[in-house]
Amino acid sequence: MQPKNLSNREPEFKNMEKDTIILGVIGADCHSVGNKILELFFTAEGFKVVNLGVMVSQQEFINAAIETNAKAILVSSLYGHGEIDCQGFRDLCLEKGLDRILLYVGGNLVVGKTPFEIVEEKFKKMGFDRVFPPDVDLKKAAELLRQDIKERFGSNSTGPRNDGQAGQPEKSTPEAGARSTEDRDPKAE
Amino acid sequence: MKKIISIDIGSTWTKGGLFVLADKNLKLEKRLAVPTTQNNLVQGFSQALTGLLGKDENTPLKELVGAAEIYFSSSAKGGLRIAAIGLVPDLTLQLARLAAMSAGGKVMASFAFSLTRSDLANLEKLQPDILLFSGGTDGGNSQYILENARKLAGSALTCPVVYAGNRAVAEEVVELLHNKEVIVTENLMPEVGQVNLEPAREKIREIFLKRIVSGRGLAEIVELFGTQPRPTPLAVFELVSAIPAHQPEWSDLAAIDIGGATTDFYSNTESYLETDTVVLKGIREPRVKRTVEGDLGMRVSAQSLLDSGWPYLEERLQELGLWAESLKAYVDRISRDLDYLPGSEEESLFDRLLAETCVYYSALRHIGGWKETYTPQGRVYVQTGKDLRRVKAVIGSGGFLSAATTAQIMRHPLLKLKTYGQERKLLPEKPEFYADRQYLFSLLGNLVEKYPVEATALAVASLEKLNDEE
Repeated sequence: MQPKNLSNREPEFKNMEKDTIILGVIGADCHSVGNKILELFFTAEGFKVVNLGVMVSQQEFINAAIETNAKAILVSSLYGHGEIDCQGFRDLCLEKGLDRILLYVGGNLVVGKTPFEIVEEKFKKMGFDRVFPPDVDLKKAAELLRQDIKERFGSNSTGPRNDGQAGQPEKSTPEAGARSTEDRDPKAE
Repeated sequence: MKKIISIDIGSTWTKGGLFVLADKNLKLEKRLAVPTTQNNLVQGFSQALTGLLGKDENTPLKELVGAAEIYFSSSAKGGLRIAAIGLVPDLTLQLARLAAMSAGGKVMASFAFSLTRSDLANLEKLQPDILLFSGGTDGGNSQYILENARKLAGSALTCPVVYAGNRAVAEEVVELLHNKEVIVTENLMPEVGQVNLEPAREKIREIFLKRIVSGRGLAEIVELFGTQPRPTPLAVFELVSAIPAHQPEWSDLAAIDIGGATTDFYSNTESYLETDTVVLKGIREPRVKRTVEGDLGMRVSAQSLLDSGWPYLEERLQELGLWAESLKAYVDRISRDLDYLPGSEEESLFDRLLAETCVYYSALRHIGGWKETYTPQGRVYVQTGKDLRRVKAVIGSGGFLSAATTAQIMRHPLLKLKTYGQERKLLPEKPEFYADRQYLFSLLGNLVEKYPVEATALAVASLEKLNDEE
């Protein structure tokens, strides 16, 4: 994670109220231009964007989402290997306790001229909530994102600490209880 | 002309130096070492002080006030033991570990995600000096933090807790931990990828001062001479931090300090150079970094060095035609008799191999690497950790490396580290090796806050360049 363009950051408190989304280009994919555009666009749309840049692994997306309590992960893939790179993403989220996070994916997801409906179905089966073609209208995507966040996390989803539990009565927190042992790190020196 | 005295109270030796400052020029006048008196540190301190000033050993400290400016550091009681809690291992936990080490502490244990019962039992058993509690970006995750705070509140832990996690829940954390001493400071990672270690480091330093001063007579020294001690590793850290700023030809450097119990690795160089073909993964490490390895040391930790360092040792034994059994017997011996010095050529060679092993593994853990990846846009290197390629000077300090007579002790293990697994390690490309021959680094580190230019100038001037010949 390189330091991001932090020059035009909003005052911090205001930032803490916004919905955080994680952005990045998955796999061995170095396309960075679109990624920068997405960062600027979604920031302007009022989201708190954590941009992980290019060549991001599933684990990195998830790490950042856990630390920031993000509402959504937006995965880009432009080099045609998206299907392989995204395999098992939802499962890994569940495994790591991110059981409510929204997963979006977009770009040139597969090689060749596969009709988009087939691509969309494929990625939805993998557990992605929304799948976008390369020529998506970003305004529309942002609108959908706002709607989806509202639906999944409740209307007053913003706020510094809801941990994905807002809009719901206080109940047992599945994210906390069942952690697999391998993602713990009790290194004793 | 001004007389300045710097004293370092170590766990076995109390070292002191008398310096003279004239025309912005700092000179070492006298150096000595006396045994540390464990139960009353003042005894060793005043013995060193009177010795440096050429006074009778029984002169009361009171009468020495004003004879010189006095600065001191201490690593007695085995230094500062810190336990670290973070959220994700690669992010906040990694930063918590770095903050603890660069504050002069030793990380005894670290925990990610939610604390389990056995983690808590482990913490209670360790009874660290400080618990560094982090996790979550500002406004980010709070669930794990609050859950861990609740668990900590119910534990028998008595040490101060430095909270450097999600700012949005700091107040709640304080409330939950009402039965503990909690010090709140800025988040180590306010946003993903943003590294903010300084505030937590400062808090740890303050706690260390209070703790170390309260015990075994040091309060008397502080009161008499009006000077606060610093942890010895922090003194060295401050010196390594200051050298590039004041000695421009020493812009990028590293220092390795091998002691009986630990090996410290310091570096001061830019950690990542952004280019089209190198992508950084994980956090961008700070320019000045210290790591400390509790399992690598020449005496107290010789046995654990044998375990951790076996792959390297085994290869070297074979190359040199030495017996593994003899080395093991030697390690048994020095573990029993910590003051033992080699009595034969073979034993000297064993000591040297142990030192090489400390260099190898401390460098392995401190220095980052590149993995080559092929993408449709061409070859790309994925970097994790810190890039030390631009480091031009590697300084050996501590009992063994200060006395080194050849650069090979450090060069050889570093050369062997060029590739590790699939990784190309980002080692210094064209390093010169130096020895802190007079063992001045910790002493000068005490002076660097007040006399940055003079102390750094003397530090680099006192180094002896090592050649590759034996």
